[in-house]
Formats: sequence, structure tokens, C-alpha cells
Amino acid sequence: MSDSPKKDHGVLYIGMDLGTSRTSVSASNGVRETVYSVVGYPKDVVSMKLLKKDVLFGKEAIERRLSLKMFKPLEKGVLKYTGDAAMDAEAKQNLKAASDLIGEAIRLAKPRKDELVYCVIGAPAEASLKNREAIIEAARAHVDSVMLCSEPFSVAYGLEWLEDVLVIDIGAGTTDLCRMHGTMPEEADQVMFEIAGDAVDAELKRLIEESCPGAQFTMQMVKDIKERYGYVGEPSERCLVELPVDGKPTQFDLTDQMRRACSILIDPILKGITKLVASFDPEFQTKLKNRVLLAGGGSMVKGLDSAVEKAMKERLGSGKVIRIEEPIYGGANGALKIAHDMPAEFWEQLK
Amino acid sequence: MSGFKETLKDAVRQMSFRTSLESLKKKGVQQVSVLGIDRIIALIEAAVHRSLRQHFHGIEREAVADATKTEFLRMLRSNEDLQRQKSEVERQKERAEEEIDVLRRDLANQQQELNLKLEQSAMSVASRYQGENAAIAKKVADVLRTLSSSENLSVAVAEEKVMELVMDVVSSERKAAEEARAALRDREVETLQRRIGKLNESLGQTERRLQEVAAMKSIDGGISSIYRDVQGVAADDAHQGKKKELMAEIFKANLKLQRKPGA
Ligand SMILES: Nc1ncnc2c1ncn2[C@@H]1O[C@H](COP(=O)(O)OP(=O)(O)O)[C@@H](O)[C@H]1O
Repeated sequence: MSDSPKKDHGVLYIGMDLGTSRTSVSASNGVRETVYSVVGYPKDVVSMKLLKKDVLFGKEAIERRLSLKMFKPLEKGVLKYTGDAAMDAEAKQNLKAASDLIGEAIRLAKPRKDELVYCVIGAPAEASLKNREAIIEAARAHVDSVMLCSEPFSVAYGLEWLEDVLVIDIGAGTTDLCRMHGTMPEEADQVMFEIAGDAVDAELKRLIEESCPGAQFTMQMVKDIKERYGYVGEPSERCLVELPVDGKPTQFDLTDQMRRACSILIDPILKGITKLVASFDPEFQTKLKNRVLLAGGGSMVKGLDSAVEKAMKERLGSGKVIRIEEPIYGGANGALKIAHDMPAEFWEQLK
Repeated sequence: MSGFKETLKDAVRQMSFRTSLESLKKKGVQQVSVLGIDRIIALIEAAVHRSLRQHFHGIEREAVADATKTEFLRMLRSNEDLQRQKSEVERQKERAEEEIDVLRRDLANQQQELNLKLEQSAMSVASRYQGENAAIAKKVADVLRTLSSSENLSVAVAEEKVMELVMDVVSSERKAAEEARAALRDREVETLQRRIGKLNESLGQTERRLQEVAAMKSIDGGISSIYRDVQGVAADDAHQGKKKELMAEIFKANLKLQRKPGA
């Protein structure tokens, strides 16, 4: 940003949640935006001429995917960049995709050219050191100063829950549990597993295939159906869905399949909670159990908070689970708050 | 502090208006930007905080209140200005597009009307002449019948005479009437043609204007932050100590991460 004008108009804080499936920003100018973490580059000169762009993001990229080389640079929650000397061309392109995506997310926040831009990025807690460096490198190109923090921490911080909180972030690729007790979470405070949104989609797909012979559908349709009807516990409505059979729309009742698919989330979450509670200072275990926070897109599965709470009461004697109000922006809002609270001298030193 | 927030929330809620998605759609709105109430509150709060901090010592409440108001308005205005500029261009574009649509429709109508008129007049002239001819023939026959009952006149001569007379009258009548009608028709056609010409002209103008607006493309200069200076944990934050501690830890981790090799 060396060619930019004098930055004397103000300070723009940007909080960013860099997720596997979605990247969201929340900024101190009131902007909130989200984009699917997908980047596409035209396959050839003809596509480039046709699309009139050299890079496309999110929905637009997905819509034009046939003429694009697609990247999901945050797949499995980390930048697919190993950082070793023998970095192959693919990894290089992935890194570029990550950089472009971060740039796009910052553009979405609509910064003024005459404002200092300070950005906090909530990255997956388990991101490796190399991955973190790659994220920082990508962001530096677009902002004046940037800091990384772990995503579950930013979610909790956003809600002013600074100690004794258990954050459960159910994303697409991974579910991340993180125990917070006043300081930055360490290795032992985190549990991560791969039963999350995508796994629910896969299970639902399997169950539909099993019970609806002849029904034709894509993974995207399964995901859409889940996001519309996903629930555990008691159904509040029948999940009636039309799927084509031999090209003819046919109605199926997927209520039961839906509950079974979404329920695969519960058990591993309980195991994770148990592990993090059991290894916590006994004096504070009850307090921790009573402050469980469900976040991430997967937390929108209806009834999941009650189901986890019920299971906690059965297996751990007590439990209170709260679902974050805005799953999509929880991480970004928290990161924004951290950016705000960060003292000037710290930002200066990282410029 | 939370009491203050609640009051603000109430105030903002009172000032806001409710509308349904349906009615927005009816108005042609396809997408809305949503500014969450918490964001609005944060905006107001930040304004209040900043001026409170600047004026906290000694100066009476009014000054604080005034400064708050000014500050809030400044922030609001700088955001609004940009939004306004942008929506102004968009509005202009929409208006121009609407205008063009109206003009196009108008033009099509006028042209249709003109064609109809020309067709109609051709048809009515033909049928009128037919009717008139028949009436004349009847009149002539009547006259002949009367004449033939008198004996001291050759029928042929009489017919010729009468015919001459009648035709003379009729043709002059006809000529006059046609002239009058043609004049009228020409006037109508001329007006229509003039109107069409005008429409065409303004259509061209509007289209040019639309192109100009389109050429202005992105005047989007970004949206101002609500902060003029770097903030930090608020001095009156109940968790100030803890938060500062956490910030220092994040910073330390980042310093380690971002220290360039050799630096
Ligand atoms: N309404 C919903 N009900 C259930 N699952 C949802 C809903 N909305 C989004 N999801 C799921 O949440 C997951 C994405 O969550 P998100 O927090 O955005 O992911 P990440 O942190 O990995 O980017 C996806 O699997 C998506 O299908």
C-alpha cells in the first residue's frame, strides 16, 4: 500500500474470519460481508476474454466454474501450502488464491484510501506455523498492519466471554472445540475433528440414496436441503423435498434421514467436551460446563444446542449451551473487537 | 453502560420503520443492505465515547453533549456523503432508464396511432364516396321521373341537362370537402410526425446521458470508519486489565510470527 495517499482520515479496523467454506469480514465502517472461500482463474485466453476478469470469487466463481481453474485455498481449515523449498506449482497457485481471497475480503470491507487499515484475522486454531506465515504474508499486501489470532478465541472475545468458555465451532470441514481460560488457548485447550458440515452432507446423501431409489441429486442440493431443514431432536416440521426420478419431480419425506444425518455431530462434540472439561482445573469445571458456546455455520442445525445440553446433563451431570446469535459473523465480529482493543504501539510495531 | 446501550437501542428502534420484504419487492428493491442495530449502537457509542474522553475534565455537560452531537453527525455525514453520491448516480441511471422506457413506449404508441389514422382515412374516404354516389344516382333518378311525366320536353335533353347540373354541383362540393378533409388530415399527420421526431430526439439524449452515467462507473471511494484514531481497550472497560493482558499475548505471538528473518 506504498502508493496510497496520506492516511489521515481515520482508522479502519477489519475483523476477518478466514473459514474453510466462507470468509467473512466485519469492519468499523459498518460493513459486513461474506464470500465463499472459493477462487477461480480463467482456464485459457478465450475464457478470460469471455469473463473479462482474471480472477473470480465465491458464488460468481462457482457459477462459472466450467471455464475456471478452481481453488479452495483454505480446505481443511488451513492454507494448503507446505512452505518447503520444493514447493510445487499447485501449492504456489493455492497460495496466490489465498492471497487473492484475502485481498477480495478486504476490498469487500470498502476501506478508504486515506485511512489506516488494521486487520485481525481469526484463523483456524490448528493452523500450522507455516500456514500462519502464509496468511500473514497474503494479508500484508493489502493492509497497513495485520495480526492473527485463533478463531474460537475471537468468537468468545466478541461476546466478552474472556474466561472459562468452551467454544464449539462447527464449520464445513472441521469442528473445533476450544477451551478458553483467560489466556491464549494452547495445544491442550483444543480439540479438532473432521465430523462437521461436510460430513453431515455426506451422511445425508448416503441416507437418501439408501431410502429414495432412483432419486437424482447433487451434493450441492443435499447441502441446500440440510441448510433449509437441518435439525436434531424433535422435528418442528416435516422435511418434504422434491427430487427428480427419471426426470419427473417426486416428493420425498426426508424428516427421519435429516435427523439421523445431523445427529452425527452430537457424539464427537460430547467426547470433545468431556476431554476438555475433565482435563480442566476441577474447581472450575462446573463453570466451564455452564458456558458452552456453539458457533459456526453448522451451529444453525435446529435443536443442536438443546441436544448437546441434554447429552451433557446425562453424561457430565450438568451443562448449559448457548448458540451464538450470528454464526456467520461471530468470528469476524470478535476479530473486529480485538482489532479495536489492540493498543496503537502494537500495531505500529507490526507495520 | 449497558443501560445507556439499551436506551440507545430503544431510541434507534423508535426511529426505525418497519417494512415487509414483499412491499420492498413491489417497489422493485431486489437487495437490501442491512445495518444491524448493534452496529448502529456501536457507531453512536463510539461517538459518545470519543467526545466524552476528550471533554471529561471540568467542562460542563452541555459542551460534552454538543461535542457528541457534532462528532456523531460528522461520522454519519461522511458515510452518508459517499452513500449519497453513489445512490445519486444510481438513481440518475434508474431515472434515465425509466425515461427511455417511457419514451420508447410513447414512440411506439404514436407510430401505431399514425398508421391507424392513415389506414382509417383511406378506408373511410372510399366508403363515403360509395354512399354519396348512390345518393346522387337516386336523386338523379327522382328528377328524371318528374321530368318524364311532362310531355313537351325531350327526355334525352332533359337528362343531359339535369345530369350536367347535378354533376357540376356535386363535383364542386366534393372538391371542397376533400380539400377540407385533406387539410385536416395533413395537420394531424404533421403533428404526429413532429411529436415522433421530438421523441426520437429526447430518446437519443437520454441514451447519451445514460452512457455518461455508466461511464462514471465506480465512484466508490470506500466508506469511512467510525474511528479517527487508533483506539485500544476503553479506560472504563470493566475487564480492562484482562483484555490488555490478552492483547499483549496476541501481539507477542504475532511479533514472533511476523519477525522477518534477519530483522
Ligand atoms: N442453516 C444451516 N443449517 C445447518 N448447517 C448450515 C446452515 N448454514 C450453513 N451451514 C453449514 O455450515 C458449514 C459452514 O460453516 P462455516 O462456519 O461457514 O464454515 P467454515 O468455518 O468452515 O468456513 C457448512 O457445512 C454449511 O452447510
